[in-house]
Amino acid sequence: MSRYIATRAIRGSNALVAEAEALLKQAVEEKGADTPVAFPNTAYFLPVTFGMLAHEVNTLGDLEFSLAHAKKLLHPLPEDNLWVPYLGETLDSGMATLLAAEAIEGVRFAYGEEPTLYPGLELAGSTSYPQLNGTGHLNGPIDDIQLRSWGIQLVDGRMPGFAALVGAAHSNEAAVAIVRELQRRNILTFLCGNTNGRSVIDQLHEEGVEMGYDTYIVPFGTDTISAIYPLGFATRSALTFGGLKAGQWRDILIYNKFRVFAFVLALGEVDDLKYAAAAGAISYGFPTIADTVIPEILPTGVTRYEHVISMPWNEIEAETEEERAAKMVQRAIEVRGVKVKITEVPVPVAYGSAFEGEVVRRADMRAEFGGKNSRAFEYLLMAPMDEVEDGKIELIGPGLDTLDEGGSMDLALVVEVAGRKMQEDFEPVLERQFHYFINGASGIQHIGQRDITWIRISKAAAEKGFDLKHFGDILYARFHADFGAIVDKLQIKIITDPDLHAEWLAKAREAYDFRNRRLADLTDDAVDTFYSCILCQSFAPTHVCVVSPQRLGLCGAYNWLDCKASYEINPTGPNQPIQKGQCLDDDKGYFAGVNEYAKMASQGTVEEVTMYSIMENPMTACGCFECIVMVIPEANGVMVVSREDPSMTPAGMTFSTLAGIAGGGLQTPGIMGVGKFYLTSPKFVSADGGFKRIVWMSSFLKETMAEEFKQVAEREGDPDLIAKIADETICTDVEGLLAYLESVGHPALTMDMMF
Amino acid sequence: MTVEIPVEKWSGKVIEVALGATAEEGGTRTHAVTVGGQTTLPFLHFEGAIPYPPRIAIEISDQRPGDWSPLLLEAWGDVVKDPAAWAKAAEEAGAELILLQLSLTKDGDTPVTVADAQAVTRQVLDATGLPLIVFGPGQVDADNELLVAVAEEASGERLLLGICEEKNYRTIVAAALAHNHLVTARTAMDVNLAKQLNILISDMGLPLNRIVMDPTSAALGYGMEYGYSVMERLRIAALQGDKMTQLPMLVTVGYEAWRQKESKVGVGVPEAWGEWEERAILWETLTTTTLIESGADIVIMRHPEAVRRARVFIDRLMGK
Repeated sequence: MSRYIATRAIRGSNALVAEAEALLKQAVEEKGADTPVAFPNTAYFLPVTFGMLAHEVNTLGDLEFSLAHAKKLLHPLPEDNLWVPYLGETLDSGMATLLAAEAIEGVRFAYGEEPTLYPGLELAGSTSYPQLNGTGHLNGPIDDIQLRSWGIQLVDGRMPGFAALVGAAHSNEAAVAIVRELQRRNILTFLCGNTNGRSVIDQLHEEGVEMGYDTYIVPFGTDTISAIYPLGFATRSALTFGGLKAGQWRDILIYNKFRVFAFVLALGEVDDLKYAAAAGAISYGFPTIADTVIPEILPTGVTRYEHVISMPWNEIEAETEEERAAKMVQRAIEVRGVKVKITEVPVPVAYGSAFEGEVVRRADMRAEFGGKNSRAFEYLLMAPMDEVEDGKIELIGPGLDTLDEGGSMDLALVVEVAGRKMQEDFEPVLERQFHYFINGASGIQHIGQRDITWIRISKAAAEKGFDLKHFGDILYARFHADFGAIVDKLQIKIITDPDLHAEWLAKAREAYDFRNRRLADLTDDAVDTFYSCILCQSFAPTHVCVVSPQRLGLCGAYNWLDCKASYEINPTGPNQPIQKGQCLDDDKGYFAGVNEYAKMASQGTVEEVTMYSIMENPMTACGCFECIVMVIPEANGVMVVSREDPSMTPAGMTFSTLAGIAGGGLQTPGIMGVGKFYLTSPKFVSADGGFKRIVWMSSFLKETMAEEFKQVAEREGDPDLIAKIADETICTDVEGLLAYLESVGHPALTMDMMF
Repeated sequence: MTVEIPVEKWSGKVIEVALGATAEEGGTRTHAVTVGGQTTLPFLHFEGAIPYPPRIAIEISDQRPGDWSPLLLEAWGDVVKDPAAWAKAAEEAGAELILLQLSLTKDGDTPVTVADAQAVTRQVLDATGLPLIVFGPGQVDADNELLVAVAEEASGERLLLGICEEKNYRTIVAAALAHNHLVTARTAMDVNLAKQLNILISDMGLPLNRIVMDPTSAALGYGMEYGYSVMERLRIAALQGDKMTQLPMLVTVGYEAWRQKESKVGVGVPEAWGEWEERAILWETLTTTTLIESGADIVIMRHPEAVRRARVFIDRLMGK
């Protein structure tokens, strides 16, 4: 906590409360304690006072209670030589300031001095003041009708939040630029205060910017005290939409912290009163971003992220006022944690998942990247927040126009992602999405990933204007739309320049290699959390998949990292974290947490589940398994049948018949549905002897996973193991199987008996 | 020999949800209609409490429905052109709740406006004292625009607004929050999706006792048993204590039953199917009574005769 800020806020609040007391005393003397006090068209009295204290102010006399409470919240200035944490004092002072400010506005209404007159100003929609007969005026408090209308948009997310601009901008041009930037992002703009007598309201008025409800720009008043109105709006939001009652001050503040995405832009010099009011806003979780040099409060706590940020206008690196405004607003929404929403993918061709499977033939091809004649790769990496400029898409190197029809070219798609919830582990999960995102564009074909990416642009797409930069537009829009929970900002480099391409390729390969090693190191023992997948309960109501680093989901589509990311993106979704809890049996893989979760999520059907055994409480299956593993008792081993294999098996059943036994959420010892990459895991039925138990396997698997199995065989210390495993081309019955196993000396024959 | 009836001890209870607000509660309804509160599976009176019977809502439309069976239009007669008169007729036919279905367009051409939606809501509120359910046309933008306006028009009436779905619920919920209404949450026949949507809606701050879930129903012969099974599982989970499944359930049986060939088509069907009108009424009645047995708390029906038969059935099950 900054001592400087604390001192100034405390001083500001002491002064304002004293001022309010004097004003009120005078008003009561002049007009009497029974004189009515009311904000127009609201059922919430003086809303901050009502929300915080459950105190209904109807008359001047009622304000005495408010100020008496405010006084209790005042503190002496910090001493010069004793340094203590000042946070509590500062927040108290902020709240005292708000109560005093609202009391002052109440007194002004009693005198008919509110709303502030502003001759010549015509608002496009405002709180109505029939007594003013059309004289130009500022808005004063927002009425309840407008509160509900905007409130619905704030709650449903169409409006990301509101910004309170306090003071005067660096120049008229800057004021307009900031407001336009906020409007562009659909952020509600509230205006109050002045700097040395000049208000941002004056600036916008001079520049002919239309203000009022209809333009989402509301001028409240030209002094700092009018900043109470935005906070009154926030308080009423919590009462109206949060189902909260007056007096639940803590809940009201917490509601605002987590649901009302508001922030303060302090424009121009910050005086004591502004510090005091900003302290009041901080209680609501609203941070302040100043365009001058002030001390910052960076640790998170009362606000979700930083509390006070200084961004001196002249030091913002930019060519124009517009760019400066854009950077300041961008910083503000980051500090407040406002999310950008993008619904359309801005490309000149049709876009949708219906185009994902499209093939672009050579004859129809405008250009190709990757494949035989060039090299393309894609790389997504996490970067610090301040190194990513959201929405920046650069094409570095020659463009599509330099390429002959049907020609090919080196290409790199490099995406740098920043996000408060982003983790390095999510890089590969996000990078794999390129394939789906890019394929969604009609006339574009995307195959492969990493450095075997292969992209084609069709002639038809190129004729419609599809260019290299559109890859960036697609990725930008889709990552924000689909992964907004973990992606706050992203910038994209589309690289065709040969030198830079080579440089980034080297970096990307280093990262691929690092990820491979990370995956290898990622063992069940190394983590304390597994993830569930209950996506398939719609048709297998009691099935619960437990996904661990060494046992991916049986459908093959979800590994542990995918589930982890999925949980971050959709915390109420089908992938929930399971704390492993106490390990009850290391060998078979019984964990207290897993048992508990399986029982709960299977509605009591599955009481216990092992992670590494097929013989005892094996994991259930839905029906989506890539392979079925089944015990062949005569051979003292197991067979593995793949979904692609239509032939008979030594169990006397084909895959489709076996699927009926393995699936449906049933726990049947001796049979299990698995993802094919689980076969290569050291934890594959490790309690029952592991990979060496496999005596028969569909030839499809042997062929498509030859490389992986070769490594497993070496790991198992038997390099010829794969050849010792029978398949459907060798035998489809037990007699044949036993004869083959004898002839090759399969290790299962001499292993411990499975039963 | 005496047979001992096994009694299950459930720990959970279905949440009680009250639709409609009386003058005392800030609305204009003559009485509220409460559903939920069960501590046992449907109609096992010997095992637990079933404080309220399943409630019958009759569906009416803001204009003469273009796609309804002639049998239905005939059964209601001229009132289908006048929502207020229709609401009254529905009340007389035994409705405990009225569902007002808003249309996308007027006469299949110009869009229904905010003013239209507000006006028809007002007419129906004035015509009947029953609590009201209002469904938007089922198209995201129109639903949001019209339901927000309806919510405002009927502020404080504790309407049941629908339909919230995972892809579009935020605006409807916000409108319900702002104007003290309830919402119905529809998911596609899946226990976990239903739970998830309930969580998402209650995360926005709407209390659970202002949410009714619609697990999606299907008609007899068209997947009804699938819906039945999902509802049964939702109810069992609720009784087992899973909070996010403890909401009352609503099913749109009239809509489902009347869009199937068996009820829709009178000519060119096998003779063995029997008389058309009787068959159609049976189709709606059987769909309704079956889903009531799986735990439906609100059934939205269309034909007055099917309503009459369902009423007899409910009364008997409730031991009247």
